[in-house]
Amino acid sequence: MATKLVTERLSAWFGKKQVLKDISIAFEERQVTALVGPSGCGKSTFIRCLNRMHELNPGARVEGKAFLDGIDIYGMDPMDVRRKIGMVFQKPNPFPNMSISDNVVAGIKLSGEKSKADLDAIVERTLKSVGLYDEVKDDLRRSGASLSGGQQQRLCIARALAMEPEVILMDEPTSALDPASTSRIEDLIRKLKSEITVIIITHNVGQAARISDKTAFLYLGELIEYNDTKEFFESPKSPITERYITGRFG
Amino acid sequence: MNKKSIFFKDSAFKYLVGGSSLIVVAFFVMIFVMLAVRSYPSMANDPLMIFGSTWDVNSGLYGGIPAILGTLASSAIAVALAVPISLGMSVFFTEYAPRRVRAALSIVIDMLATIPSVIFGIWGLWIVAPLVKTYVQDPIVGSIGFIPLFSGPAYGLSLFLASLVLTFMIVPIISSLTISLLSTTPVELREAMISLGATRWEVVRHVALPFSKLGIFASIILALGRALGETMAVTMVIGNSFIWPFSSISLFSPASTITSKIASELYEAVDVLHVSSLVELGLILLVITLLVNSSARLVITRISRRNASG
Amino acid sequence: MIVSRRTKEKLIIAALVALTGAAVVPLFWIIGSIVWNGISVMSLEFLTSLPAPFGSSGGGIGNAILGTLIINLFASGLGIPLGILTGIYLAEYAHDSRMGSAVRTIVESLSGVPSLVIGLFAFTLIVLSFRHYTGVAATLALGIMMIPLVAKATEESMRVVSDDLREAGMALGIPKYNITTRIVLSMAKGGVISGSLLAFARISGETAPLLFTALFSFYWPTGIDQPMATLQVLIYNYAISGFADWVAKAWGASLLLVLLVITINVAVRYLGRKKYGGA
Repeated sequence: MATKLVTERLSAWFGKKQVLKDISIAFEERQVTALVGPSGCGKSTFIRCLNRMHELNPGARVEGKAFLDGIDIYGMDPMDVRRKIGMVFQKPNPFPNMSISDNVVAGIKLSGEKSKADLDAIVERTLKSVGLYDEVKDDLRRSGASLSGGQQQRLCIARALAMEPEVILMDEPTSALDPASTSRIEDLIRKLKSEITVIIITHNVGQAARISDKTAFLYLGELIEYNDTKEFFESPKSPITERYITGRFG
Repeated sequence: MNKKSIFFKDSAFKYLVGGSSLIVVAFFVMIFVMLAVRSYPSMANDPLMIFGSTWDVNSGLYGGIPAILGTLASSAIAVALAVPISLGMSVFFTEYAPRRVRAALSIVIDMLATIPSVIFGIWGLWIVAPLVKTYVQDPIVGSIGFIPLFSGPAYGLSLFLASLVLTFMIVPIISSLTISLLSTTPVELREAMISLGATRWEVVRHVALPFSKLGIFASIILALGRALGETMAVTMVIGNSFIWPFSSISLFSPASTITSKIASELYEAVDVLHVSSLVELGLILLVITLLVNSSARLVITRISRRNASG
Repeated sequence: MIVSRRTKEKLIIAALVALTGAAVVPLFWIIGSIVWNGISVMSLEFLTSLPAPFGSSGGGIGNAILGTLIINLFASGLGIPLGILTGIYLAEYAHDSRMGSAVRTIVESLSGVPSLVIGLFAFTLIVLSFRHYTGVAATLALGIMMIPLVAKATEESMRVVSDDLREAGMALGIPKYNITTRIVLSMAKGGVISGSLLAFARISGETAPLLFTALFSFYWPTGIDQPMATLQVLIYNYAISGFADWVAKAWGASLLLVLLVITINVAVRYLGRKKYGGA
């Protein structure tokens, strides 16, 4: 199994406060990696360093290295990084001023290379791949904001997938959703890994166990443990990890 | 203090504040009543005369159309010029400017809004007018003067100059509202666009501006209302002549507005018909500005409801 | 394509900077020309004497300075109390009553009425009735202009006072007028004062309502019921006269007026902010 994304001693700060300490980790290609840890442990900051969104915060700083296919992310143009590494957010955030289909192609349209027919094909293909097409095909022109929460989140995943990213980062994508919508999205994530590398943050250890191939545990800005998900849950090496997965804190 | 006197003081205070509010209401109503009463001689003489095209005090002709059109045209041109300047400044302010530059720009906007109209007037009259004549109007008249809208001669004092000075006076209105709207764009929508590889401008263009467009529209209408009623600066630089628009449609001709006409003629008007025609023009201006301002307020109320519910 | 999006971004930044400059440059240009042209006529004589007889040099604008101050003070005497009382009504008594929403709409509408029209109202009510130009009419016009500004500042600063305080007062059995004046108004005092000062600054620059009310005069004010010189009208009259000496004096008066208006604004917005936590 090839590695897709590697960080070497990645550290990050908000102003003077260090939130990530020397994280070195290698993400496998076409695998689902779950990042778990109590809230405030730096999970979100960590994935925001991977698509260079952390640096947009005033006073934010990053040190260390991150490589995508061996190329230094911090040597690339940030816009290119974000096109190759897509992101899905905690709260579904479709553009309320755009229709369903415009939401899907919002990113692709920016480069303006595709014809109308191409765009329509992309809309159909990506909506099908997130299982939303049959639910919305009758009226693709209505606003993305008119959908239910679970549908909105699948629309946002479609929007990220339409860019054909190599990696997709998900920041607790189901925390705002009901159990039925959550399980649909979990199915979708398992399906996605045939084509794409998925890194998902979850505060729900059950979810990590259900969908991921590998699991990493972050605590107070440090990487405590990183292992195959099965091993991680069955025989955690660190006592802190054990306390976390047995629900004794956080 | 016994109960009775507390009760008395309590209701006396209530009547004091309520009564004061009613005095304010009465002032507002009286503005309409007095302007209507004092324009009665003109309306009774010939109700349609104010909509005539000739204003000639010596012949007793008081047609207000050139002034009404001048008011509408100067305000419309000023808004057309102020919109790109204000939006450009607002986008630069919220999306690109470093913190120190933002602090400096907000002082600039405050100051522009603070400078009295008559100061814009003396600057426009003595500083800008000669430069505009030499460096803007003369070259344009010389090159494309065959187009009636840009025909000569160039006077300096003109509809164009009035619109230009008005522009700077309404920029702070549009900018301050637009800046506060753009800075309330939900951060999750901005981040969604950034995560798709958008440049800063693309985030503005596809997320921030669409999010704020209704409010920006309202701020433009408010600015229009302000421009329609602006008096001193316009009076000092527009040339106060009714060449425009019937003798010459050129933007470089001297023109008049409702406000410039009232400001420059009322204190020396002796004929009852003259005075009442000027008052009638003022009444027309009042009605136009109230319509414009209340439609802007309607939009703003809708937005604050949307924000409160969303 | 990516490259052209980069280039586009750069072009747009350049355009935004240029548009920002289009608003910033005029401000510095205005202030610069006023200081440049106005400073040369400044002298004690300029500030304290009457205009010299026409044709002779020297003289000053003392009567206009005094006139502006007198009219502003009387206008404040009308506008500030009415504005504060109306603001109290809107904040504490209006609630959702029909009269409340009518008053609120009218106060807002009043702030959008062009100053010229308010001047026209004072002209029709007082000047036409008494066939006499008078400072009283100017006072009425400027006073009315202050009302919505002061009322809005009062209402807003009273609204941010926490309801807990009102309820605590009620629970102690303190009558409402006492809660309103002693507790709420005293906490909102900073906002009311800055709102009143800003309204004062605003009317100090207003010219249109004075043109056909206070008119002008070359003498010291003798009474509020007489025509009076004001700085604002002096600037207008002198600037459009075309006489070099008068135009120079108009620049001097402009410098003085801008200093007055800007000083009040700076004091309220930037110094007052620290003290009252936001104007």
